[in-house]
Amino acid sequence: MAATTTATVPATRSAAAPVRRRRRLLSYWPQYVAIAPFYLLFLAFGLFPILFSIYLSFNEWDGVGEMTFVGLGQYQYLVADPRFWNAVSNTFIIWIGSTVPMLFLALLLAFLLHQSIRFKGAYRVAFFLPNVTSMVAMAIVFGSVFSDSFGLANGFLRWLGSQEIGWLTESWAIKLTLVLMVIWRWTGYNAIIYLAGLQAIPTELYDAAKVDGASTWRIFTSVTVPMLRPVILFTVITSTIGGLSLFTEPQVLLANSGGNENSGGPGEAGMTIVLYQYNQAFTQFDFGYGSAIAWALFLIAAVFSIINWRLVREREGLADRRTRRAGR
Amino acid sequence: MARLSRRRLLGLASAGTAALAAGGLSGCGSEVSLSSDPHELVLWLWNRSASPELLAESARGIPGTDFRLRADYIGTTFDTKLRTSLAAGAYIPDLTNINSNNSLYFPAEDQFLDLYELGAAELERDFYPWKWSLGETPTGRFCFFPLDIGPTGFFYRQDIFERAGLPSEPDEVSAATRTWDEWIELGEKLRRDADAGMVQTAAQLFNQFLNASPERYFDTADRPLYEQEGSAVRQAWDLAVRAVQTGVVTGASSTTDQNAAWVSGRTAGQVEGAWWSEIVVDTAPETAGSWRIAQQPGPPGNSGGSFVAVPRTCKNPEAAFAWIRWAQSPQMQARTFNDVQLFPSTPESFELGVMESSDFFGDQDPLEFFSEAAQTVPTTFISTHESKVGAFRTELGLVSNGSKEPERAWEDAVTEVNRVLRKRGVL
Repeated sequence: MAATTTATVPATRSAAAPVRRRRRLLSYWPQYVAIAPFYLLFLAFGLFPILFSIYLSFNEWDGVGEMTFVGLGQYQYLVADPRFWNAVSNTFIIWIGSTVPMLFLALLLAFLLHQSIRFKGAYRVAFFLPNVTSMVAMAIVFGSVFSDSFGLANGFLRWLGSQEIGWLTESWAIKLTLVLMVIWRWTGYNAIIYLAGLQAIPTELYDAAKVDGASTWRIFTSVTVPMLRPVILFTVITSTIGGLSLFTEPQVLLANSGGNENSGGPGEAGMTIVLYQYNQAFTQFDFGYGSAIAWALFLIAAVFSIINWRLVREREGLADRRTRRAGR
Repeated sequence: MARLSRRRLLGLASAGTAALAAGGLSGCGSEVSLSSDPHELVLWLWNRSASPELLAESARGIPGTDFRLRADYIGTTFDTKLRTSLAAGAYIPDLTNINSNNSLYFPAEDQFLDLYELGAAELERDFYPWKWSLGETPTGRFCFFPLDIGPTGFFYRQDIFERAGLPSEPDEVSAATRTWDEWIELGEKLRRDADAGMVQTAAQLFNQFLNASPERYFDTADRPLYEQEGSAVRQAWDLAVRAVQTGVVTGASSTTDQNAAWVSGRTAGQVEGAWWSEIVVDTAPETAGSWRIAQQPGPPGNSGGSFVAVPRTCKNPEAAFAWIRWAQSPQMQARTFNDVQLFPSTPESFELGVMESSDFFGDQDPLEFFSEAAQTVPTTFISTHESKVGAFRTELGLVSNGSKEPERAWEDAVTEVNRVLRKRGVL
């Protein structure tokens, strides 16, 4: 193959070598052209906006008029902005509140779906369905179910004789509604991923466990969960990314119910970081500040990525050492 | 079938990429206008902001010119899209509708032509003066030409008022609620005897009070007024807080809750612009005949209503203005009303006798009510910085759901608004 010959070209350079290399590069043009569409689009709609937002975050700009350089002004304001920190704490509450029960539930569902039961396919489709449902339509349905005085949820509470909850007006209840929305939407998705992981576990292990007289619960905790560890880690990482960038749910569910557009409902109780960024950039037309929020989110996400990465690395290191020891 | 060789496939792919790149690059040129047809003007608008009938006629030709009008419906996030075009200096429409938030464009007023220079001044007498003045920028340029208006009134459910033993004819209700104090008192009785609210949220009442006030958040030099003793904002705040404390507000904040409250009669009223008739017809069609409109306490206000502007890059400003002149004449505004119920900004439209009123309000004629209301709307100034005072409404929301003391909420609102204004370089 051509690539291997390139690699074996000796290090001694003659005058003709660069020419030859260029000609070789040129001879690959169809390949380069073939991969170009992605890179051209990425350049225009990915890389450029990312770099430009760095530049924007050091400026004050309303989107039409002149830009004025403000140095670190946007970041200084950000650090002291109570609305930003409210958004950060909301995001974390919703993220943790949804991820933990969601992943647990997904694991349980996957385990049950993996058993030999009837209508397996139908169940799988049903659990995955919320994930492919239009988010906007879903938010409207949730808006109806959790509507304060006429919703299904409060109707049920009334029937139970318990007190009604202001699902979309009270600070903690708004977060709970958002948590339920995230759980509803993503449990099936994670369950399918777990199911794929389960199917990769050799049946011999289960058989061996059964022969040894292990109960279902014991099999679950001692065989299934340890074997699924890399898959669980993957879902934790994707849920972190999804949780930190939560936007559509609060945007559509609480559209302008706080008296202001895109402000996360009464008292900004459902304001997330990305919603605040969107609010500042596209409702308040403060693009410099919107960009600064985006980069603050990047920093927060980076911190969590490093934590995740270190967890993975340590585990891999552990596994390496184990296999090495076993090989010896 | 010929076998598709790898070389051939790559060749096809590269040809496709080249075409894509060429298309993209030609788009990056200095294409300022949206249409390359020299006789076509493009108008940007959103659904129901112009009469489709009139647009179809304009598409065949703008009377008195050799231009045609193409209408592009832009849909949601209209402002973002328009501002993006203006900032990029490319693909700018020749005419654009702008909503009641036209003051947002004051800092960018040089992007639009001064319509006085195209002869708009001679049309001024045809329009409600308060609407006309909203189209002027603080520097006195006339960039935003009046389309429709939203004179306000107090919509209420006659049947529920009757059931509560309250005055129920429009004249009686108007007479019983000359002041906001009387209006609150009536609301208390409504709450006690029919368990219904007068309005949905405190923030709505707060907004409508200011919409009927000559003084708003800022003076014409963009200096904040809300902190002054007895400011209009403070009065609006006090009214909203009182409405919450006396149970006059239903407190339905989500759209679903509000719609349900109107259908069920849990909220028996609404202070809003003339266009709200259309909303309630759609939301609660089964309540037909039971709604009436009374005068709100004090003078009526204006809520909503849009404008049309001519960007400075317009292909032919004279032709664009000729279209505005034709489409916004009293006759055409009357036709627009019959087609899409945009309430005319030209008083003469109502005297033509061609406008079709709705029978949703029983024996009351909403056209008569609102055309009268439109005559006494106070002239006011809406500052471009009003987009930054959302904290007042946010804090009112906290007062409404009982999570904050009113005085503390007021202080927090003022602090927050000042903080935002300082950041944006206003204070």
